[in-house]
Amino acid sequence: MLGRMPQALSWVAAAAALSVIPYLLTSYHLDVYRLLLLWIALALGYNFLFGVAGQIAFSHFAFYGVGAYGVVILWSKLGVPLPLAAAGAVAICAALAFVVAVPATRLEGFYLALATLAFGQLFIVMITEGGDLTGAAAGIQRYALPPIFGHKLTAADYALVIVALLLCTFAILWRLDRSWFGRACRAVRDNSTSAAAMGVDVARIKIAAFTLTSTLAGAAGVVYAFLGNGIAPTTFDVNFSFQLLFMIIVGGLGRHLGAILGTILLYLAPFVLEPYVGHHHPLVYGLLMLGVILFQREGLMGILDAVRRRLGGVRPVEQAP
Amino acid sequence: MSAGPNGPLLAARGLTKRFGGLVAVDALDFELSPGEILGLIGPNGAGKTTTFNMIAGAFAPTSGEIRFAGERIEGQPPHEIARRGIMRTFQHNMPFASLSITDNVLVGAHTKFRGGLGAVLVGAARRDEAENRRRAEEMISFVGLGDQIRTPVTTLSFGQGRLLEVARALAGEPKVMLFDEPAAGLTPSECERLSGIIRGIAERGIAVLLIEHDMRFLLPLAHRVVVLNFGKKIADGTPEKIRDDPAVVGAYLGEPTAAGRLVAGGRP
Repeated sequence: MLGRMPQALSWVAAAAALSVIPYLLTSYHLDVYRLLLLWIALALGYNFLFGVAGQIAFSHFAFYGVGAYGVVILWSKLGVPLPLAAAGAVAICAALAFVVAVPATRLEGFYLALATLAFGQLFIVMITEGGDLTGAAAGIQRYALPPIFGHKLTAADYALVIVALLLCTFAILWRLDRSWFGRACRAVRDNSTSAAAMGVDVARIKIAAFTLTSTLAGAAGVVYAFLGNGIAPTTFDVNFSFQLLFMIIVGGLGRHLGAILGTILLYLAPFVLEPYVGHHHPLVYGLLMLGVILFQREGLMGILDAVRRRLGGVRPVEQAP
Repeated sequence: MSAGPNGPLLAARGLTKRFGGLVAVDALDFELSPGEILGLIGPNGAGKTTTFNMIAGAFAPTSGEIRFAGERIEGQPPHEIARRGIMRTFQHNMPFASLSITDNVLVGAHTKFRGGLGAVLVGAARRDEAENRRRAEEMISFVGLGDQIRTPVTTLSFGQGRLLEVARALAGEPKVMLFDEPAAGLTPSECERLSGIIRGIAERGIAVLLIEHDMRFLLPLAHRVVVLNFGKKIADGTPEKIRDDPAVVGAYLGEPTAAGRLVAGGRP
């Protein structure tokens, strides 16, 4: 029990730090910061799906989009009160993810990748061709978050909503990972025959992991919808799912901290590199990916583990993938 | 058939498996009681592995039934068989390569966790987790891997990997343990150690079914032996009786002169 105090304290400290930062930033940097936090939330969920549960799926940004479009359509087009619309959008994500998961998780590796890629494309086509309901290619623009208890949220205030989303996402995935569920996910990824022989219902675990992580992406989408008060199909392009993949691979597959570090590195890289390489930063991404796959399979976390070991045989804080 | 306190725990009746025109297992009957070590032997292609796979749920029999504690279980999927309390080891070790030894064994205890996903999410599963972790560590000590507990599973020796298979299956608190050629690939001293562990398992009241090639390993260990040849049971009795059965010796070795080697305990 004593051991749990520092852990609780570190959560509070992280929440406090993340909540203070927005009020110290210029508006340009605040925009970068808010999007970075959303990317981290997405990468954490995707890392659980891809890195922990071993499902090669590319539908993550589509579910992010379902959450965003869901809440905006329910609220601004259908007049559902905002809290209900938000809950409804997350519920739609969960239901849709389940419907996709049941057939899709029967597929392995390459075929699951193809099926989820097709789903991601289908989603883009549907919102682009959705007419008035989805606003077609221009998306839905110029709505605004109503004042909450008479208080109109500033951009910095809204960052707190994103911090809350991020911490909830992290807490959920952290607990799942350190339970029988996380172990079963890793076991299924490592050897599904063996896992089944141990009493793990492989199909059920796969469906649960896909549905849970896709729903978390949907919740992030709901929060994203009010970030700039506008949504458009280009934001949810399948390309971004590949970017998530790069982030978690560079960070270290299956490691929460890896997903965070990988996202920070790759998200901020274009801003840092812009003055030097202009718009050629994808080239840097490519080289970085190649470097990781060839020389450092465990990504940034592998380097961190090695440093830790050298500093006195400290065991890794979380299990390796 | 009733499963009273003295009835068999696991029983096969008329168990048959056809693959196209080939009858791999032909109307096999056998029974297994708590605390008993039953050996299933036979030459290559006799139907041992097919029988094992039908019990473990890898595939359904063409006809016949398998009863566990009186209930029919044939054709059920592997995870359901495990949930009922029939756990297995693999002939070719199949650990979860990226998990620690303790986590490997904890996956074996998968069906013993009481709290669902809800309990996990609200943080109410800690006690459950701690309790199962303690039992997992007990199992690791029981098979003699206590000193290796921090070793990555990928660096375990083949023999240690086999012991991990046993600990992982035991963590599910099985009523029946199925061993698929447990002595295959082990050194003589590892075989001896494994024999001791299997005896210990049976002494806990667990029913043990062993599929084995190695007679030197099996005969001193088993309480009873069922011999298969071309899918049919040709003998069922104590190791002593089996050893002297001319039909068994003939089927197993194909030539009477080799009988002397079997009696002397030679490897077939």
